[in-house]
Amino acid sequence: MVQRLFRLTLLCLWLAGCATAPRGPAPPLGIPENDPVLDSPALALLDEADRARQRGDAASAGRRLERALNLAPGSSWIYRRLAELRLEQGEPAAAEGFVRRALRNATATGPHYRASLHELLAVSLARQGDDAGARRARQTADSLRRQTR
Amino acid sequence: MARKSPPRNKNSTRKGRVSTPKRSWRGTLLRVSAVLLVVGLAGLAYLDALVRERFETHQWKLPARVYARPVELYEGRELTRHQIQRLLDLMRYREQSRAPVPGSYAFSGNRLLLHTRGFSRMADGEPARRLRLTLGGGHLRELTTGAGAELPLARLEPLQIGSIHPGHREDRVLVRLQDTPGLLLDMLLAVEDRNFHEHHGLSPRGLARAMIANIRAGGIAEGGSTLTQQLVKNFWLTNERSILRKLIEMPMALLLELHYDKEQILEAYINEVYLGQDGARAIHGMGLASRFWFGQPLEELEVHQFALLVALLKGPSYYDPRRHPERARERRNTVLEVAHREGVLSRAELVEFGQRELGVVPPGESALYAFPAFLDLVRRQLARDFSPDVLSGDGLQIQSTLDVLAQIAAENALGDFFRGERPAELNGAVVMSSPEQGDVLALVGNKAPRSAGFNRALDAVRPIGSLVKPAVVLTALERPEQYHLGLPVRDEPVEVKMPNGNSWKPQNYDGESRGPIPLLEALVDSRNQAIARLGLDLGVGAVADTLQRLGVKRDIPRYPSILLGSLELSPFEVAVMYQTLATGGFYTPLRSITDVMDRDGNTLARYPVSTEAVVDEGPAWLVRWALQQVVAEGTGRYAAARLPSLNLAGKTGTSDAFRDSWFAGFSGSRLTVVWLGRDDNRDTGFTGSSGALRIWTDVMERVPQRSLTLTPPEQIREVWLDRETGALSGPGCGEVASYPLLEASIPEQTTACGKAGQVKKGIFKWFKGFFD
Repeated sequence: MVQRLFRLTLLCLWLAGCATAPRGPAPPLGIPENDPVLDSPALALLDEADRARQRGDAASAGRRLERALNLAPGSSWIYRRLAELRLEQGEPAAAEGFVRRALRNATATGPHYRASLHELLAVSLARQGDDAGARRARQTADSLRRQTR
Repeated sequence: MARKSPPRNKNSTRKGRVSTPKRSWRGTLLRVSAVLLVVGLAGLAYLDALVRERFETHQWKLPARVYARPVELYEGRELTRHQIQRLLDLMRYREQSRAPVPGSYAFSGNRLLLHTRGFSRMADGEPARRLRLTLGGGHLRELTTGAGAELPLARLEPLQIGSIHPGHREDRVLVRLQDTPGLLLDMLLAVEDRNFHEHHGLSPRGLARAMIANIRAGGIAEGGSTLTQQLVKNFWLTNERSILRKLIEMPMALLLELHYDKEQILEAYINEVYLGQDGARAIHGMGLASRFWFGQPLEELEVHQFALLVALLKGPSYYDPRRHPERARERRNTVLEVAHREGVLSRAELVEFGQRELGVVPPGESALYAFPAFLDLVRRQLARDFSPDVLSGDGLQIQSTLDVLAQIAAENALGDFFRGERPAELNGAVVMSSPEQGDVLALVGNKAPRSAGFNRALDAVRPIGSLVKPAVVLTALERPEQYHLGLPVRDEPVEVKMPNGNSWKPQNYDGESRGPIPLLEALVDSRNQAIARLGLDLGVGAVADTLQRLGVKRDIPRYPSILLGSLELSPFEVAVMYQTLATGGFYTPLRSITDVMDRDGNTLARYPVSTEAVVDEGPAWLVRWALQQVVAEGTGRYAAARLPSLNLAGKTGTSDAFRDSWFAGFSGSRLTVVWLGRDDNRDTGFTGSSGALRIWTDVMERVPQRSLTLTPPEQIREVWLDRETGALSGPGCGEVASYPLLEASIPEQTTACGKAGQVKKGIFKWFKGFFD
């Protein structure tokens, strides 16, 4: 028993040592550091897709993002952008597929980024009427965010 | 009231005898003239209405045109000199110092100056521009603009690979008058209608001059009809030579000139005129004729090619430059001479271009219709969404997913296999796709890939043999508490009594049974008895459900024999199924079209990428990993030996009595399915390994792609298991091997030797152990 208490104390000290002061607001959400899109010519297409989206040309934005997929296979970020586009177009089921694929490619990314993907998943599920699924996705997002604090 | 009779008078009677017939004749003449005038006026009114109505409402029937995906150029992409040269040849680029015009290029060592044609009229297209490429080591090392500025990305204009005209057999590439080369127009008018800008539809002077010229030439050198008359003939009338047709043609030509200006008439002419026949397809207009005969856009033709087009107006069949080159050449040179005489060409040009070859593309070498199997797929997809009228008449532009280099690689690999001594009845098919988007990149439906006909890639529905086994294994791995890759399964004889009294008794390929073997080995070495037993344990229905989740749309009979691949699918359907495995559990329908645009480039329909998670991450990852082992050390190891630097995954398939030889597999960016079989469904003499796998490896070797990298998801642990019992063990503990397992699959039972090295179930177990 004494030994167990000793171990528990050790663990608490270790955890306290690891703790840092609460961080400020989360850094602006950007492309994860290790996403293949960063080292690919597809980056230029993302900007073009953004501009197309801003002028309301979803077809053009979609075309450019799909081209980008070809040039940066394995990217999580491009799937995420496709999911956002589909959500804007009122296609939450299509968005769900993309965001799940973004998650599948996000194993090596930080929890903050993955949390944002789960939030996106929650939105696409909620818009399909799957409230329970949306709730679970939000819980996952919350728990991932807690890891970043 | 009774009419008064005139008084009778002998003289008058006599005179009357003479004058009455005269009056009667005049009267008749008057009456006939009046009737003729009325009929003539009515006829003219009718012809006038006909001319105006047809000309004003006429829209040329423009078939849907299908384009391959534009080739992307960027630093680092795999691109050999041979590949880019092949592309430029297919796209009919001309080697020309300093690449001065669109459609030209110049090589200097490993540097290439390229002047693209651009495709800014298509949605998200690009302008024509000069690019500088530096090649080396099989890659594109540097890409800049012609001026040397950095350029991250550029595309070549998409190659047209065919057109779709289901309702009729007309084809046309519409050209505007302002885009038509001036020299062609000058030559056309010089030869066909010198007074075009002066006459009003008919030219007696022209007719007389043509007669004199023809007498001088000793044959038909010039035609007597004006362009307007020729247009009337092409537009409204038949080719029949009759007085009646001429009588109708002349007033119509006058009426046409009355209502429309010369530019409108000339533009209609260059788009309407008949210039050749490609089987059942009529070649109308200069634009299409240019592509059909020379494989190039009209604006890129040279003087002698313009002359040949003008020469063909006299009789596209008689002067067919492919069938009668001498005759065509003679006629072309006559055209050049007339053009020179009329001041269109200089003496030097006449001499220079008169010596040129005809410059026509050999039949079958044009990219048009070069890929019939793929076009067939596009046609089927389009037919679901567009009516035949729209497809054949509205000039739609279809952006397809075809990757020309991948297609050529697939065709060549299949072709090379058949260069050996093979039975004539043996044939094959290849389907290649990109797992990311589900784009069909290549589709070959015949060992003679230019031949249309039975499209084996889509229509050869054959038993898939062991290609079904990953679905059986996946069904098991989705029950992690019961099954894992290290679990011993019995490779032993099995017999199932069928309702019809027969027995199903699968045998292994080597005729032997290994006894208990790890599940992974059952897949890697394609053990029929072990997989059959596993499938029976899981339930035939459960495996069929998995197949449907993977994308099989066909009804799947619930017979035990489907566990070993009696299920019949086409190579394309197999690709759909394996696509889901390659993506790690995402059903991603294969698409052959990305966009349908109208003739002005406005988007009418998009076929966006769609993807749906149908298998959980853990089991999907495990199956991919297991398929990687099939290539690394199992029935697919030929591919690993040939392509050691590429991580690949896949599965062989052989149907009963060697009737079908299959291989389906993927890298990180390419999925390919190969089928080999006979149309008479007899023994091919090949297993999946000895036949389809060889072709598959050849295809993969020729296509730039990424290695398959599999980062294990969080719930996967690597554990050592005892081969015989499947109990947890450790390295150096006898017959053991390490396997990736889902946490839920890690066995509780541990061998004595392995206790020290056992892996606990996740971080929770570690904490639990820490405090225990």
